[in-house]
Amino acid sequence: MAASRIQVWQYITAILLIFFLGYHLAERLPWLWGYHHYHETLYSQFVQHQYHSWWAGGLLILAYVALFHGLNGVRGILYEWRPRWGRAWDALFWLIFIIFAILGTYTVVKLW
Amino acid sequence: MSSGGPRTKRNMPGLLRASLNPWLVRVPDHPERLAFVLHRVTGVIIILYLLAHIVVTGTPAWRGWAAWDSLMTQFNNIWNQIGEFIVAGSVLFHGMNGIRLLLTEFFGLCLGEPEPPKPPYIPPTYRACQRKLLYAVFALWPILWFVAGLLIFGVW
Amino acid sequence: MVGIDPKAATKTPPKVVTIRVRRYNPVSGREWWQEYKVETHRGMTVLDALLKIKEEIDHTLVMRYSCRMGVCGSCGMVINGTPRLACQTQIAEVADEANPVITVEPLYNFPVIRDLLTDFTSFFEKHRKVMPYLIRNDREEQEDPKGQYLMSREDYEYLEEFTLCISCGLCYAACPVAAIDPDYLGPQALGYLFRYVIDTRDEAWEMRLKIADDEHGCHRCHYAGTCSMVCPKVVDPAQAIQRLRSILFKYKLGLYRKKKISGISPPPKEWKPRKPLPPEAKPVSSEVDYKKLEEEPVVIEVEDRRITLRHKIYE
Ligand code: SF4
Ligand code: SF4
Ligand code: FES
Repeated sequence: MAASRIQVWQYITAILLIFFLGYHLAERLPWLWGYHHYHETLYSQFVQHQYHSWWAGGLLILAYVALFHGLNGVRGILYEWRPRWGRAWDALFWLIFIIFAILGTYTVVKLW
Repeated sequence: MSSGGPRTKRNMPGLLRASLNPWLVRVPDHPERLAFVLHRVTGVIIILYLLAHIVVTGTPAWRGWAAWDSLMTQFNNIWNQIGEFIVAGSVLFHGMNGIRLLLTEFFGLCLGEPEPPKPPYIPPTYRACQRKLLYAVFALWPILWFVAGLLIFGVW
Repeated sequence: MVGIDPKAATKTPPKVVTIRVRRYNPVSGREWWQEYKVETHRGMTVLDALLKIKEEIDHTLVMRYSCRMGVCGSCGMVINGTPRLACQTQIAEVADEANPVITVEPLYNFPVIRDLLTDFTSFFEKHRKVMPYLIRNDREEQEDPKGQYLMSREDYEYLEEFTLCISCGLCYAACPVAAIDPDYLGPQALGYLFRYVIDTRDEAWEMRLKIADDEHGCHRCHYAGTCSMVCPKVVDPAQAIQRLRSILFKYKLGLYRKKKISGISPPPKEWKPRKPLPPEAKPVSSEVDYKKLEEEPVVIEVEDRRITLRHKIYE
């Protein structure tokens, strides 16, 4: 069983996360966007606009990448916890990944 | 197993103790172990947040932007801010330590060069630049977390 | 390596130390802490103290040891919370007048057979699984070698530290992953695996990478690095595993090139005849009748069991 086929993506997604999540967090820095408070960057006035720019695609990639990285990390912990249930953990990983990926895709596509 | 016969004792600390206690094995001067436990704990916090985040940010798609704005106003209370503060700290640590892990585990860098052992017998890993990176992570983390706190609690 | 204090043997330990031993009786299933007071002497190790207890106080105490000098790797124990070799741990290092108590537990992550004796069966199975020996494509040549496998000095020095492992299991006892996952190959086996992957004399490295590339192989390691911290031989398995994983990823992405496999030294042109023995050296056989020894094997009787020893070297 070539575990590295999935595991190599854990690191590739990590590299992508540095940039995509970095930008996503930078969106919450008020002075970059001409606001005074962090909370102002959470309201539709600012967020809505993000969905109409190139960043909508970025958000989509960020969602997939973060989901993969995070869920695969949990999968690893579960593998250690109950090694014999490996197949079940793999199935659970893909199931949750797909459900939340669909949810994220729906949000971004609808608001585009 | 027949009752009363000799039995070996399973002697493993288990998931919770191994993942939560950096001092499970007492070793002096060993921040890597602490980093491992923090990396794991923060990782779990972040994935839980992420799942909730994807559900919550779906609101405008399902119920419109007005619903989103009223939700944000509703979320603007001290308990949510504390939660956000914890998640921000987790992301900061996980990200910075993650860069160190990427360099060591993925690229095989910063690990020190293998060499025949010589006094004082400190393995190369602990003299390598990954240790300095780790100290940098531990130094930067509280500072950035503090700044994030200023933003989240609206002081700034 | 943890707290090895080269001067410890010259220090005077406290006159009397209390050794707290984590004991386990496999028949009754009882677990308990037992305390023994032991008079010390300078240079006394924890293993010496345990043997003294066994000789003078409580002969039911069970432990494993062999060489008493940090070579065989049998006496691993958790001493004051740290996995260490009992024979390499000076009493003066772990106890002083202010705190003359030493706790001794069986190695973590290994099943306990009795008291301080742990079961290494699965540990050695994992060791075997990584095929810790040289493999060449030319099997016939390897069975009947015509020369030596060459290796440059730098290549040797690069992997020297990874060859020093004595399979004591301290790293395995310290690892937080081995503490959860009984299938994890563990730092010892993975360290060995790495040592053969980079060995310029070995040609089975792709096969080895496949063994490491398992859900319970090198991907389970989280670089907590405690393994390297406790290793008594400074093997640095943590570094080995990270390098192994990096090699594996590069290999998967088609970027890894192994160093050129080394060749074989040319066979010597002619065999020099053996030097004759000096006149004063006499073979011993005039005294001992080996034939007879072989015919009459040594028999040791222990209660109702007969153990027969036949000297292999005479066969
Ligand atoms: S790597 Fe070190 S600690 Fe681990 S078994 Fe080998 S000698 Fe012992
Ligand atoms: S570096 Fe890996 S093998 Fe070593 S103690 Fe940490 S998790 Fe275990
Ligand atoms: S008895 Fe051989 S290593 Fe301790």
